[in-house]
Amino acid sequence: MPLDIRIQNPDAAVRAGTATINLTGSLDTATAPDLERQLAPLLATAVKDIVFDLAQLKFISSAGLRVFSLVRKQLKERGGQASFIHLQPQIQDVFEIIQALPGMAIFKDEAEFDRYLALQQQARQA
Amino acid sequence: MILDLHATPEEVMRAVEALQELGATWQLAPTDLFGLALALEECGSNIVKHALHGDARESFRVSIELADNSVTIELRDHGPAFDPTLAPVVPFQADDDQAPGGWGIQLVRRHIDEIHHTRQGGENILRLTKHLHRNSLA
Repeated sequence: MPLDIRIQNPDAAVRAGTATINLTGSLDTATAPDLERQLAPLLATAVKDIVFDLAQLKFISSAGLRVFSLVRKQLKERGGQASFIHLQPQIQDVFEIIQALPGMAIFKDEAEFDRYLALQQQARQA
Repeated sequence: MILDLHATPEEVMRAVEALQELGATWQLAPTDLFGLALALEECGSNIVKHALHGDARESFRVSIELADNSVTIELRDHGPAFDPTLAPVVPFQADDDQAPGGWGIQLVRRHIDEIHHTRQGGENILRLTKHLHRNSLA
């Protein structure tokens, strides 16, 4: 199963500093290098936060988790974060098995993510 | 089913997709099939990367069997002796700046009920057996 990678409104994302990326298919040993390659130009910009929408991701292995871990580390170094929304149950199970959930920003849906962003904004303004 | 595969990530996924098609034919529960596919991907990737150093000229064999209420995947390679069941589990640290390792075997252990490694005739032989849920093989 291939991996389709779609960066939503890339130019606007770079300007705003936040990108949303939809992943469809399988993130595995064969497709993980392609994700890493396609993320490289985005990570070379001033983007600080990336939201991975995994609603259509059917399979993930440790190869995919490593890419997420590397992205998370890079964004953390610039004061941002990697977030994950719409995880299918079997995908969430993989995150849980390696105990990747503590410290990872995982949200059920956009509404939960928006509430989190609003709280972050309030905290910054306080 | 027996597959002879070149040592590349694409060939590992060819085996995974063959397993997924076979699993659909056998009407395995989706959770069982996902676990089996993940275990095969992780173990196959380890063979490609560490045993055969990603050399596409090298090959390894994957066999998939259905028996009673279990599925067994066997992986055979001619790489150096290596027993993945002895690999230490490296816990993920959310704030750890080091590149994490050992996740693959952790995922395999979570989804596979019996893991056996032997070394025979210069081959590593890894057998992964998963006991199926009751609603599999309906």
